[in-house]
Amino acid sequence: MLSILLKKQMAEIFRSYFYDAKKNKARSKAATAAYIVLFMTIMIGLLGGIFTFLSLSICGALSAAGMDWLYFAIMGLLAILLGVFGSVFNTYSSLYLSKDNDLLLSMPIPVNVIMASRLLSVYLMGLMYSLVIILPAVIVYWVTVSASAEAIFGCLLLMFLISVFVLTLSCALGWVVAKISLKLKNKSFITVVISLAFIGGYYFFYFKAQTLIQNLIANAGAYGEKIKGAAYPLYLFGRVGVGDALAMALVAAVILALFALMWLLISRSFLKIATSSGRTAKKEYKESKTKQKGVAAALLAKEFGRFTSSPNYMLNCGLGVFLLPICGILLLWQGGTVISVLNELFGERSGCTPILLSSAVCMLASMNDMAAPSVSLEGKSLWLMQSLPVTPWQVLRAKLGVQLLLTGIPVLFCAACIAFIYPYTPLELLLTVLVLVSFVLFFALLGLFLGLKMPNLNWTSEITPIKQSACVMITLFGGFVYTALLCAGFMMYGWQLGFVGYMGCFALVTLALCAVLYFWLKKKGSSLFATL
Amino acid sequence: MLKIEHLTKNYGEKKAVDDLNLHIKPGEIYGFIGHNGAGKTTTLKAVVGILQFDEGEILIDGKSVRTAPLECKRDIAYIPDNPDLYDFMTGIKYLDFIADIFKVSETDRKTRIRKYADLFELTADLAQPIASYSHGMKQKLAIIAAWLHQPKLIIMDEPFVGLDPKASHLLKGMMREVCDAGGAIFFSTHVLEVAEKLCDKVAIIKGGKLVRSGTMEEVKGDDSLEEVFLELEGESC
Repeated sequence: MLSILLKKQMAEIFRSYFYDAKKNKARSKAATAAYIVLFMTIMIGLLGGIFTFLSLSICGALSAAGMDWLYFAIMGLLAILLGVFGSVFNTYSSLYLSKDNDLLLSMPIPVNVIMASRLLSVYLMGLMYSLVIILPAVIVYWVTVSASAEAIFGCLLLMFLISVFVLTLSCALGWVVAKISLKLKNKSFITVVISLAFIGGYYFFYFKAQTLIQNLIANAGAYGEKIKGAAYPLYLFGRVGVGDALAMALVAAVILALFALMWLLISRSFLKIATSSGRTAKKEYKESKTKQKGVAAALLAKEFGRFTSSPNYMLNCGLGVFLLPICGILLLWQGGTVISVLNELFGERSGCTPILLSSAVCMLASMNDMAAPSVSLEGKSLWLMQSLPVTPWQVLRAKLGVQLLLTGIPVLFCAACIAFIYPYTPLELLLTVLVLVSFVLFFALLGLFLGLKMPNLNWTSEITPIKQSACVMITLFGGFVYTALLCAGFMMYGWQLGFVGYMGCFALVTLALCAVLYFWLKKKGSSLFATL
Repeated sequence: MLKIEHLTKNYGEKKAVDDLNLHIKPGEIYGFIGHNGAGKTTTLKAVVGILQFDEGEILIDGKSVRTAPLECKRDIAYIPDNPDLYDFMTGIKYLDFIADIFKVSETDRKTRIRKYADLFELTADLAQPIASYSHGMKQKLAIIAAWLHQPKLIIMDEPFVGLDPKASHLLKGMMREVCDAGGAIFFSTHVLEVAEKLCDKVAIIKGGKLVRSGTMEEVKGDDSLEEVFLELEGESC
């Protein structure tokens, strides 16, 4: 029974790799392999690369000081943090809100089996994120320090225990969210606020961690002894990677016991939460004056309603909405310092500082990709947009509108803040704004283009189109790559054109790409939407 | 009001609808019956412009669904077999959204929402999110939304599924009202007794082909509709 459900769960998670929704048939082996290679390149090449670099910078020093355990403890904690960060937001929805919960619960399937199959997808998501950190850390250790039998066994066990611990923490947090959701009104916004606080804490820790790690390397012996004395479990946790038998047994026992406790907790409440209507006190309808909207405004309001109704959607595809204004305010507050540091670092090449400032804004703007999953999110309600008297282009324009407004306005705010702290000439400022605006437009169009090309209308949990779809991944990482291109392009060759020349060219190329995508969406994209 | 001429729709090798011809005049309630997979839903979806068809023509009030889809859609309302509405909206927001799309004035929408929501006893639930509605409540909401802009032609796929007896009775009355006012109804159903009592005309489809159509008397003669249907399906009564 479990294997059947796991197969169904896996088929849903990895559906887009094997199935072409547009052609309604399985992808060729070559296309499947290409998608998987692309995904692996992003995960291993980009994210894994960052953490390989971090591992290389601290592994040797800590090992030389006899603090191998501290190395594993640090990397392990980072892996847990990223793993929980990556999977906690989808735990609640995939565990309790899956649309086929009712169907499965009505079948002769033990509840524990349904839970296990749901947890597997959470486990895989956590595993994927935590491996991005711990796998390079382990490989670096094996290559540069020791690949003895104990080290190999210890590291493998450490990776397994980390993944189980990530699952346990994600589920515990998901359970808390579920409990809160049953009681609260305006849960979408409250969940977003709590999650943002979590993300804020995460980034605060992450930035502090850089200084902390440098400090640790410099005073490894002293800090190591202090941690060992004050946080002995952390010492034991780190010792697992070294292959210490006692530490392995103790840590494994504790983590497995915690997992068992979490399982017990969830299994007792799963049925109640999964089958609850989630109703708070019934809100009585009172007739009020409504204002008639035009078709375009009604469609835009509908798209905004969809976006703001889902914490998953807001958190995964709209982080830029929150981060861009924060960035702008920080620039106003600390802009002088930032500019003097950047000038000091890149001062000899003129134009580097404003390019870096623009790149930072683009990087944050690329965290907004709400247009990408918007077609898939129509799901089974697609018949409405197809049967109502609206053109497909009107529908697509509303989807674009949400991203353009929610990204464009904060980006312009950031641009205004930058203009306030950096002495641009009017032409430089104009081109900066043009690059930023064309970037926002391009990624909204690209996201919608990919969303139309890779639709998934038959999801059972909204997290599938929002977080696990290829179009969202490509748009998100495409934004990062395009930002890197803007920055690296100037550093390597673009400086020869000067700031104005380079920004002018970049804006021109981006606007040309926008034009191609715009006309494709208007003609072919509209026809495609009508036949989905 | 609705003219379907030589409609053909293929799904790969399979002919889902094969050279179908139907003519529905103003004032008619037209029933569409057939076994599962006979091509009823495909035909209805083609009429409302959700599904592209391979051959033939569909005219609504003289306008082609193929060349003037928006004009056609403004005149019709569609209720699918499974009303998957926008779960993230409340009932009233959904009705306002539909009214905005069809440009129903503030006064008209207010009056109609009050009238139909009261009829279906849904008024108290209009502030609730659709996600919390039962199947029957969603069906009632879809019906209210369909009636909001006073369409000339209403297309319904199994409209009585999920409705309680009182709501079914109300719907039948509303269907008759639309036709008395010069509109038309084209709906599919498996409930032959309902079709027999309610419809002015009926069409029976089998394997994508129209096997019989006409007034109720022409189709069933002295037999019951069930007997005729089963006979056409090759079953002994």
